[in-house]
Amino acid sequence: MVDISSDVSSRVIEPQTAVARRPMLAMDEVSKRFGSLEVLRNISLSVSAGEVVVVIGPSGSGKTTLLRCINMLEDYEKGIVVIDGEPIGYRPGATPDQRQRMSEREIAAAREHIGMVFQSYNLFPHMTVLHNVTAAPIRVKGVPRARAEERARELLAMVGLSDKMAEYPARLSGGQQQRVAIARALAMDPKIMLFDEVTSALDPELVGEVLAAMQELARAGMTMVVVTHEMSFARDIADRIVFMDGGVIVEQGKPDQLLFSPTTERVRAFLRRYNDRYRI
Amino acid sequence: MKEFAPLLHGYWYLLRGAGMTVLMAAGSIVPATVCGVLLALAQVFGNQAVRSIVVAYLFLIRGIPLLVLLTFTYYLLPLTGIDLPPFWGVVMVFAFYYAAFMSEVFRAGILSLPRAQWDAARSLGMTQRLMLQIVIFPQALRLASPPFVSLCANLVKATSLVSIVGLWELTMASREIVERTLAPFQIFLGAAVVYFCICYTLALYGRYLERRVLQGH
Repeated sequence: MVDISSDVSSRVIEPQTAVARRPMLAMDEVSKRFGSLEVLRNISLSVSAGEVVVVIGPSGSGKTTLLRCINMLEDYEKGIVVIDGEPIGYRPGATPDQRQRMSEREIAAAREHIGMVFQSYNLFPHMTVLHNVTAAPIRVKGVPRARAEERARELLAMVGLSDKMAEYPARLSGGQQQRVAIARALAMDPKIMLFDEVTSALDPELVGEVLAAMQELARAGMTMVVVTHEMSFARDIADRIVFMDGGVIVEQGKPDQLLFSPTTERVRAFLRRYNDRYRI
Repeated sequence: MKEFAPLLHGYWYLLRGAGMTVLMAAGSIVPATVCGVLLALAQVFGNQAVRSIVVAYLFLIRGIPLLVLLTFTYYLLPLTGIDLPPFWGVVMVFAFYYAAFMSEVFRAGILSLPRAQWDAARSLGMTQRLMLQIVIFPQALRLASPPFVSLCANLVKATSLVSIVGLWELTMASREIVERTLAPFQIFLGAAVVYFCICYTLALYGRYLERRVLQGH
């Protein structure tokens, strides 16, 4: 039943935003299981250039796994993911069963175009802030050091951390570390950015500074897929909200439509519980 | 003070023995470390066959006393026709023996890094090799350094066993002086102090290295 509603909603809603612009991300029938647990069931999702898609849903619904499959941090049993026309992970075959796994080297190269920010920041603790941001551009893309550092300074200024360049991550607050992580991902000049519950580990008063940096990025036209529990932020930043549960996309639509007049009972129940808790 | 006259008399001989001990230990630690890192990598990243071979090797080594292995090799080598000077034979045994333990130390260092560090490195487009080089190794070595240093100290002390197979070093030198002076307590006390000094220096150096690499944590 859930499956049917997801099909209907994706047909009805998606074209409105996607029609004019080229697709930056296209997931086609991706399925993923952990043992007997089906985490993703035939997920298809298309995100066009410059679009900000926010993924919400109860924990265990597969949101994080969805993100991790996009840049192949997690392997998946079925389906294809394409970033700006280039496959990552698997090359499509004549039939869905004939997809071909790319080599590790090719996958690494494809990941250059996908920035990711994690819940637990995951900065490299043995490198300074500046080094964290410049390491990948220099070593992966071969950008000359001077240029990489200049770009890092710009990005760190953008996230408001110009004065912390020489510090080590352990000396920064969670919010500062997360902003460095954003700058680090942006330093690779990605085509799309993935955000995996990036404020969930932060003290409440540090959440705002990270969300502000993301808002800035969205305004600048970055294509983004954001998994979050911050509903009011989702409403502000999203062009489209996708609701996941049980490994499928249950419903998707424009923020106001999905948050205030959802068509499925499942989303209504989720939002009711959420509102009882937080009163937005 | 008069009781320590034999020690004063033989101190130069003792120190020369100590020099030999240091040489032997250093000569063993370097290849043992290299092999240890390779074995650790093989165990973490190798396929099933490679991993089984490494694990079998570790179990074999861990189940044999070093003294038995030394003596065994001492008698075995001439039979195989390999003409190795005793010093190098001993270094070889130590290198293979300690490589097994070092590989466990390095493997623990690599595996104790949070999975998230690998994810972060991968998400930036790093290849496996680059990731190991600039993200995993620098951190794993820091984590591995305390047990690594104590393993090195252990190796220094284990070199005293080679006097059994007739190699001349600190313990052998001490025994020779004792035979001449009949002052076992004074001489072996002196030898103990020298062993302690070598190991303590090693520990201090390890601490210094750790602090330097630890920067920022």
